[in-house]
Amino acid sequence: MEATHRTEWTLLATPLVAFLLVCLGFPAVVNLVYSVSQISFATLRQPEITGFGNFVAVVSDTAFWRANWFSLRFGLLTALLECLFGLGLAVFLAPLFKERSWPIAILMLPLMVAPALMGLMYRLVLHEFAGPVPHYLWAWFGDSPAFLGPNSAFWTLTAVETLQWTPFAFLLFHMAYQAIPTELREAAALDGATGLARFWRIELPLMLPTAVAALLIRFIDGFRVFDNVYVLTGSGAGGSTTSLSIYIYEAFFKQGAIGKAVAASVILFAASFAVLYGLNRLARRRRR
Amino acid sequence: MTFSAARASRFLCTVFAAGVAAGAAQAEVTVLGWPGGPEETALRAVAEAYNARPEVSGDNKVELLFFNRDGFWDKLQADLAAGSDAFDVNLLATYSIGRYAPFMEPVELSGEAQDLYGEAVLSTMQFDGRQYGVPTDLSLHFLYYRKDLIDALMADETAKARYAEISEEHLGRKLEPKDPNDWSWDDYAATALYFTQAVNPDSPTRYGTVLQMKNLLFNIMVWQSTARSEGGDWRDADGRITVNSDAFRKGLELYKMLYDAGATPRDSLSYEFAEANAAFASGQVAAMVQWNAAAADLTSAEKSPAVGEVTATVAPPAGSESRATHIHGLGLGLNKSAGNKDGAKAFLEWLSTRQAAIAYAKAGGAPALSPQAVSEIAEERPDLVQLGEYAGAFGYVMNGGASANALAVYELQAKEFTGYWSGQQDLDTALANVERGMAELLK
Repeated sequence: MEATHRTEWTLLATPLVAFLLVCLGFPAVVNLVYSVSQISFATLRQPEITGFGNFVAVVSDTAFWRANWFSLRFGLLTALLECLFGLGLAVFLAPLFKERSWPIAILMLPLMVAPALMGLMYRLVLHEFAGPVPHYLWAWFGDSPAFLGPNSAFWTLTAVETLQWTPFAFLLFHMAYQAIPTELREAAALDGATGLARFWRIELPLMLPTAVAALLIRFIDGFRVFDNVYVLTGSGAGGSTTSLSIYIYEAFFKQGAIGKAVAASVILFAASFAVLYGLNRLARRRRR
Repeated sequence: MTFSAARASRFLCTVFAAGVAAGAAQAEVTVLGWPGGPEETALRAVAEAYNARPEVSGDNKVELLFFNRDGFWDKLQADLAAGSDAFDVNLLATYSIGRYAPFMEPVELSGEAQDLYGEAVLSTMQFDGRQYGVPTDLSLHFLYYRKDLIDALMADETAKARYAEISEEHLGRKLEPKDPNDWSWDDYAATALYFTQAVNPDSPTRYGTVLQMKNLLFNIMVWQSTARSEGGDWRDADGRITVNSDAFRKGLELYKMLYDAGATPRDSLSYEFAEANAAFASGQVAAMVQWNAAAADLTSAEKSPAVGEVTATVAPPAGSESRATHIHGLGLGLNKSAGNKDGAKAFLEWLSTRQAAIAYAKAGGAPALSPQAVSEIAEERPDLVQLGEYAGAFGYVMNGGASANALAVYELQAKEFTGYWSGQQDLDTALANVERGMAELLK
């Protein structure tokens, strides 16, 4: 019985393992080789293994740490804002969505726009001479801020990302909120709990797993941001809006420093794996 | 000024700049061209003319392939390095020849090419002394200015006195308004300040100029003539890096001063070609240095109703050493992995004939032709006369500007210099970083 079970498991898992080996394993091996090689576009097929110089170059590059800091700040801030707004909308508009569900479709619209196109749209919308926002600010107040200036670009990018992805967080919270049994709310109301008390003591704790998942998903998405930032500000004045993805892209294509770019991606992969592994272990311990 | 949907859509179209794709599934000679804009239109016209020639067999007809301008050079680099045979002929530019040459083959030009283009223009497609492409379009810079505003300034004594006051306050000496064709960079700066409402509340325009200061290599090409006209270069004759010089300092400080004084829009650090054009076309900018490619739109009353009839162009202002404009060429060359090399070579040789160049120019392209050749189309394309004249008189390529790492050098300068302009680092640090990086990239 045990042997049959093992054979079945092996048969079922084989296609998945083969897929992972081909689609992820091969590029991963190539990446590892390139990361310890001296390599250029002219020698892509003949990498010369030279050791860990690329890793040293990456960790001693202040631009790499600056890009990490940008990505970390951006990922954390946008994830937090999106989840706060998403939760707020899900709870505040719940009575409306109970009666009519079509407004949800309107809220979902930003998700349908490709991030690069969203960046392009805001590049137009915020342009002082072609965009409606600065136009009306000038008309009404006689001035308009530099939305993409060196001191405000980060906040503008954060706002753009938040506006686009809040609906995603909202959707998760909406589903979680709807899944809370009505009896619980009714019982709490009978016990005299106010709306605020019901939210803090019953609804929010029940939605906590959703909140953790939403925060994690949105953080990962924000941390690896590329498209809309690249279209709106590129890597920014003096590299001020260089996310880690943009750092790797520019090292690879713009500087032709392929080994360095790949080494940075290997470091990112290792760090991501370590964090996810740690979170997984933490979750398991809590379940026990 | 009113918000105009037409202006917005024009801006968006320019930003998109590129069309997507003509299909080329079964091309006999597949040509990968520069998408969008007049280059694509002109290439389509000459491809049609070539295919109509009776001596071109069905196996050697030209099919065109286009993809988006965004990331074009990166994608091309990846394709060439991977040995792709998806195209036989590909686009190349002066600043990228060194990077692509290992994956391309030199080409043979027609016997007419030398007289047709002249050595200076042919050299924009050369690397290590070998011809890697047929020059199709030349890019350089014009000074675009509002003729109505400059004429009014020069005719008004009160305005002249105010102009002198402003120039003394910001530049340290009293200047008089001049014809833009006689401008030095100081005259340009003084005019920019005079026409800035933050400096001169009576200015008819919000800004005196618009600077493209985004961290982007093409913006450094626009800026670097300020340094070149003061005698600046990337390297000296012995190969030593020479950017840490008074010439570079002066050019960088000029931009910084104008930005800090509010003479250019506050968002200029995110501006490139399209944004600068939109600003100038709005009628709220008095003068700017911009690519020649903008001339057709900015001097057209239909496309730029606010300024089309009053916009004039001259060569960029002079520095203490010379007047200078960056030049680079776009051209077409032969992919080393081409599937149909003979067909591709035949097309490229024909493309370098007088007949093809004239057809290309008539269809909207911007080839830099010799005075004899351009006279044939001077009535239809007067801008090409100016293009050839300025390229010959003021055109330059920085020493190292066609090397394998030229693009990386521009990228480095863009990052460091925008860091200085935005106040994130001082000038000494920016120049020292660029000097150190260039020494590594150009060794």
